[in-house]
Amino acid sequence: MSSKDFNAFEMAQAQFDKVADILNLDDSTRQLLRNPLREYHFSIPVKMDDGSVKVFKGFRVQHNDARGPAKGGIRFHPQETVDTVKALATWMTWKCAVVNIPLGGGKGGVICDPHNLSMREQENICRGWVRQLARNVGPLNDVPAPDVMTNGQHMLWMLDEFETIHGAKYPGFITGKPVGMGGSLGRTEATGYGVIYTVREALKQLNIDITKTTASVQGFGNVAQYAIELYTLLGGKVICVSCWDQEDQVSYTFKKADGVDLNVLRSITNKFGGIDKDKAKELGYEILGGDIWIEQDVDILIPAALENQVRGDNAQKISKKVKVLAEGANGPTTPEADKILQEKGIFVIPDFLANAGGVTCSYFEQVQCNMNYYWEKEEVLTKLDSKMTAAFHAVSDLASKRKMFMRDAAYVISINRVAQACRDRGWV
Amino acid sequence: MKTTNKPADSLVLELQERAKELNCLYIIEDTLNKSDISARQAFHTIINTLPQGCQYPDSCRVKLFYEDITYQTSEFEESKWFIQVDIVVQEKVVGLIKLFYLKELPKADFGPFLKGEKKLLNTVAERLGHFILHKKLKNVFKEMNDVRETVSKSSKGEWQIVLDMIRKTDPNLFMSLMRKLLHFLCWKGVEEAEMLMKHASIKRRVVEFEEESDENKPMKIKKIANYDEYVDTIIRLAGENLTDDIILARIQKWIQEDKSSGLVKVVENQDTSLTEISDAIRKYYHISPEKLELSPSTVKGLRVSLLRRFFTDQLDFISVAKEYVKLTDFYKLIDKMIFPPASHGKLGGKSAGLFLSYHIISKESENDPLIQNIKIPKTWYISSDGVLYFMQYNNLEEVLEQKYKEIDEVRIEYPHIVQLFKNSEFPPDIVKGLSVALDDLGEKPLIVRSSSLLEDQLGAAFSGKYKSLFLANQGSKEDRLIALMDAIAEVYASTFSPDPIEYRAERGLLDFHEEMGVMIQEVVGVKVGNYFLPAFAGVAFSTNEFRWSPRIKRNDGLIRIVPGLGTRAVDRLSDDYPLLASPGQPSLKVNVTPEEMFRYSPKKIDVINLETNEFESIHIKDLIKKYGQEYPNFSEVFSVYDSNIVRPATQFDLDDEKKELIVTFDKLFIKTDFLKKVDLILKTLQAKIQSPIDIEFACDGNDFYLLQCRPQSFTGDITSDNIPKDIPEEKILFTAKKFISNGRVPEITHIVYVDPVHYSEISDRNRLLQVGRAVGKLNKLLPKRKFILIGPGRWGSRGDIKLGVSVTYSDINNTAMLIEVAKKKGNYLPDLSFGTHFFQDLVEANIRYLPLYPDNEGIIFNESFFHNSVNIIRDLIPEYSHLEDTIKVIDVVNSTGGSILKVMMNADLNIALGVITDETGVSESEKVHKDLVENHSGEHWKWRMKIAEKIASELDAEKFGIKAMYVFGSTKNTIAGPGSDINLLIHINEKEAKLNDLNLWFEGWSLCLSEINFLRTGYKSPGLLDIHYVNDEDIKHKSGFASKIDAVTDAAAPLKLKNNQS
Repeated sequence: MSSKDFNAFEMAQAQFDKVADILNLDDSTRQLLRNPLREYHFSIPVKMDDGSVKVFKGFRVQHNDARGPAKGGIRFHPQETVDTVKALATWMTWKCAVVNIPLGGGKGGVICDPHNLSMREQENICRGWVRQLARNVGPLNDVPAPDVMTNGQHMLWMLDEFETIHGAKYPGFITGKPVGMGGSLGRTEATGYGVIYTVREALKQLNIDITKTTASVQGFGNVAQYAIELYTLLGGKVICVSCWDQEDQVSYTFKKADGVDLNVLRSITNKFGGIDKDKAKELGYEILGGDIWIEQDVDILIPAALENQVRGDNAQKISKKVKVLAEGANGPTTPEADKILQEKGIFVIPDFLANAGGVTCSYFEQVQCNMNYYWEKEEVLTKLDSKMTAAFHAVSDLASKRKMFMRDAAYVISINRVAQACRDRGWV
Repeated sequence: MKTTNKPADSLVLELQERAKELNCLYIIEDTLNKSDISARQAFHTIINTLPQGCQYPDSCRVKLFYEDITYQTSEFEESKWFIQVDIVVQEKVVGLIKLFYLKELPKADFGPFLKGEKKLLNTVAERLGHFILHKKLKNVFKEMNDVRETVSKSSKGEWQIVLDMIRKTDPNLFMSLMRKLLHFLCWKGVEEAEMLMKHASIKRRVVEFEEESDENKPMKIKKIANYDEYVDTIIRLAGENLTDDIILARIQKWIQEDKSSGLVKVVENQDTSLTEISDAIRKYYHISPEKLELSPSTVKGLRVSLLRRFFTDQLDFISVAKEYVKLTDFYKLIDKMIFPPASHGKLGGKSAGLFLSYHIISKESENDPLIQNIKIPKTWYISSDGVLYFMQYNNLEEVLEQKYKEIDEVRIEYPHIVQLFKNSEFPPDIVKGLSVALDDLGEKPLIVRSSSLLEDQLGAAFSGKYKSLFLANQGSKEDRLIALMDAIAEVYASTFSPDPIEYRAERGLLDFHEEMGVMIQEVVGVKVGNYFLPAFAGVAFSTNEFRWSPRIKRNDGLIRIVPGLGTRAVDRLSDDYPLLASPGQPSLKVNVTPEEMFRYSPKKIDVINLETNEFESIHIKDLIKKYGQEYPNFSEVFSVYDSNIVRPATQFDLDDEKKELIVTFDKLFIKTDFLKKVDLILKTLQAKIQSPIDIEFACDGNDFYLLQCRPQSFTGDITSDNIPKDIPEEKILFTAKKFISNGRVPEITHIVYVDPVHYSEISDRNRLLQVGRAVGKLNKLLPKRKFILIGPGRWGSRGDIKLGVSVTYSDINNTAMLIEVAKKKGNYLPDLSFGTHFFQDLVEANIRYLPLYPDNEGIIFNESFFHNSVNIIRDLIPEYSHLEDTIKVIDVVNSTGGSILKVMMNADLNIALGVITDETGVSESEKVHKDLVENHSGEHWKWRMKIAEKIASELDAEKFGIKAMYVFGSTKNTIAGPGSDINLLIHINEKEAKLNDLNLWFEGWSLCLSEINFLRTGYKSPGLLDIHYVNDEDIKHKSGFASKIDAVTDAAAPLKLKNNQS
């Protein structure tokens, strides 16, 4: 591959370098944090259904565990590269640090395409992966989770293999398990609620009464629905949501000036967050083009669908009234748009802070597993609230003190936390 | 059909009478079929049962004479009101039945007797004749067996006793046996026998001369002398040359052959009607005391004749079917057939396919228990000439000329024809047949399917054009019968619907005499709440043209399966998905992540609502919520979806309303032998029919039912292309020799090529995403299904964008084909996606997929064509011009001087070819198909072009302030289809233009043309004209549609205006 290729790991390093400059990190710290602490490359031989043996390539990268056991998903992808895995492990380190949970960053994967594998073969890959790494992972040093093309089923296979090897029960070895098999309650709500916890704090800081605010939401999937739920509960009014229409292959915005009714919309929504537009029309919703959500005269914008939705070409259309933009989705704002938002003076809650409710809940799952005692949903959500609130204030304090933009402040704070942990341990 | 009460009332009366008759017949049939019953008992049953079948049982008396004995009902009296009929055995009157009414009763067809009563009496007499013959034969066989036993014990020659007996009872048979014995002796090389054969030319009819006139007497004496001598010689020779065992065995065999000769004669004669054939079969069935062992050749001959009469003349079909279908199968079949008197009809293609496949499976199941107990639903058939009979009965013959009318006339008149048919009466004998059928089928829901003769000729491309209707079949017999007749009338009317007529016109088949058989089939299923549905149903193909993994081989097959009625699996759906699986690779799933499984699980289900008597599509969720406990094989069909895990559901999961239940068939596929069974069925049928096939199936929770079977080559869009060998290499754009599927790709006018090298060199993530967005834009701009996408690696890759262009389905949904290029990087060959990210969407939209491996040996990949052709991306999407190194948009027609790109795919050879070609470069066999399609589709643009010219010539340029007018888009590009708009570009003089008037003027044209187009094609649109105005300013800046004027590619064509000098 030529050096001109897009390389995710190089991008992660470049991002780190920028923040390292701001933090004025010394060379040894930079060197330590630019690269993973440990990388495992190994082969997984699997007996296929037709009797032949195929050898799959597996990875695990533990980028940094100065703050606690490494945490990160396992991906099954046919074109997995170690560079991608390294980049994702690095981002996990920062993500855990920004919400201040005692976990490091890791990522793993297997080069395979589950579309070409039977369930039995996939099970053998999962078990083979654990057999190769049984001594290097575990609830106290590295905790995997589901990721691209892996799910709760794969996690249970891996957990079972791990427990078999170690001869004891370790539900805290892995997260993303189904409720009842060591999973945590509140998982479904976590990300959406987390977004609103940060929005609530942002509004407080801007001296805006949340009950007098309105919001426009892009997307109507899991994150968006629970964000709307909590926001409405807190007294806010969502006046429009936009979502993808599977049938027409375009997205639409559903607007109701006096506020959308979440339960009504849910009742006419399919599981992919597609709202039935004919029924919505009957219920008095205005059906508009998919991009209209961004032009609304509201106080809060919540892009909670896909990446690259707020771009150079549409960021100018954002109303002057908008005060806060909370990134519920991953990477919804492009760098060009970011500049426009800064010019417009909009308060941006960056994705890896706003949607960190998910990883925080994974941490809670692990905590509950390790003590083999499981909380009620309310307890999970209360603890989530305090974590998110604290994380938000840490970032926004730094932003206002140092006159930084929120996104930069979030990176600065998390990288600083990790660097500090390394120093405290006497590594650098 | 309920016009007045009167016909309904009389219908009910008639039905009641018919029921009585049937009941009576059943009792008699039942009694006579008992093997051990004596003749005496039989006669008593008949005379005592007959009155029950009459109008006035109390005053009815019966008398029966047979062989000098008289049998009569108790309190017997004779009267002057009677009907009578002879009992005939082997064309000889042996007795008589008389039916009396004791008092004067209302007048009917024959005195007080109804036609039906007369017919009943005839039927009983005829049946009695068979019974008596059967008894006699049985005795003969019994004696023969006795003789045989004694022969084995005692001395030689006692077979002669048998012959003596036959000589006395059945001289015809005796003579026939003598001749056969003589032939047999000759065959054995007995010289004396040969001499006898040469010199004695004895006629078989000689015996009959006895009863003839005196003139023949001298001759008769002479012959008789010869005759005795002749017989004695043969018997002597036999005794001398053959063993007793052989002679006895032979005689027995010849007797049997003789008995079946009647059937052979009837069946072989093309003039005999179905009624006669069915009588002959019934007779044959009755007189075969123990299953007669016919010689294999006779059996085959009979099978072939019967297959020809009942199904088709097609040799392919017959040559396979004759090996599997037994004569007794036809006996069962005729019992379920309804046909007009003197019918010469057949049962049609669908019936034939099902009949054959069922018998193949039944026979082959002896070898493998896996496919035992495969069933077919109970079916009644109406022969193909039923439709003509129906029309003649109602004097509707003029409708037959419908097919020669203009298609718009056909379209206008079709709704009337449907009404006309529905308001017509069925002939009484058909009504009676249907009534019997309903009694047999009971109150189970029915499907009325067409089984047309043309399907045989043309295949399934045709079948979808005729109707199949579901009936709930609930309520009183009267209501059900009316509903059934209504449905049949509608199916009949569909023969005259515009679609099949147009299709036949295109293929030059209008003159082919179309007759349509009808199948009345029980719907497979169970009651769930107030709905009726099968646990699941679907279609399966023995060859797989949509493979989602390179591990799946073409002959691993493909299954499309849905819960409920199979209608949702048969058709491609726009808003829902069936489950796909490959029976040969049961463990490889299309959708592997819980999200994918959820997204592509069926959301709706087709059912029959037993309360409203309607066929409905309802939400699975609602059905499960109410009646989940009753759903058959619930846990095999449903799984629980819990955000990050999917597991088979149990009935207990229904208790928790929050649990999300989705259709996955996981348990059915993995834990049962269902897929193995389907695989074996497909492979067995494919091997025996010697063609790839597809089947329809359903399961009611217990049994697997086969609903249809036909050769897969019939499925129009997946036939293989001929790959010409003589194409010069410079004309070839690419070749592929791995994972090729069959499937038609239309002529391609544009190519969107994402350059693999440039794409991999992009280091900016945003730029990579822009490539995806640019493709999405092009997808909207380029002519639908006339362009293909070629790109590196995995289209639709989300996570690692450099592995393939990041697009969603909506960004590619108009392409004709998706091509993935696996170009080596160093020594590393990337995996391709096989379209997995939107695989099911591709399948439903029939977008073809092709993987290219340009580095493999013997593969042509003409990169220079992509590099050197003019890139028109700047003209189409100027905002993405900075990506022109990466994205090449090629107008094939312009770049090649009028040629197009053709992609030919042949899965049998595993070759695909992309060729730059013009019209003349098409192979001969292709041409036939092409001509038909081309001529037809050509009509659409020609007509539109003419209209555009007409409009221009009518348009008063001065009055409206118009400078020029252009046509562009599909009309100009000669690719307009039946639903296309006419795109017009009007260059206006901004100061003078009277836009309001102009708009009105165009609106009028637009609406009229839309109506005319609807009549021509059946496509509805709110207006046919798509008008765009441009002014001088636009043209100067080449903005918007003005860029079409004098454009590099796809320029708009000017039209000549009225009052305009230019």
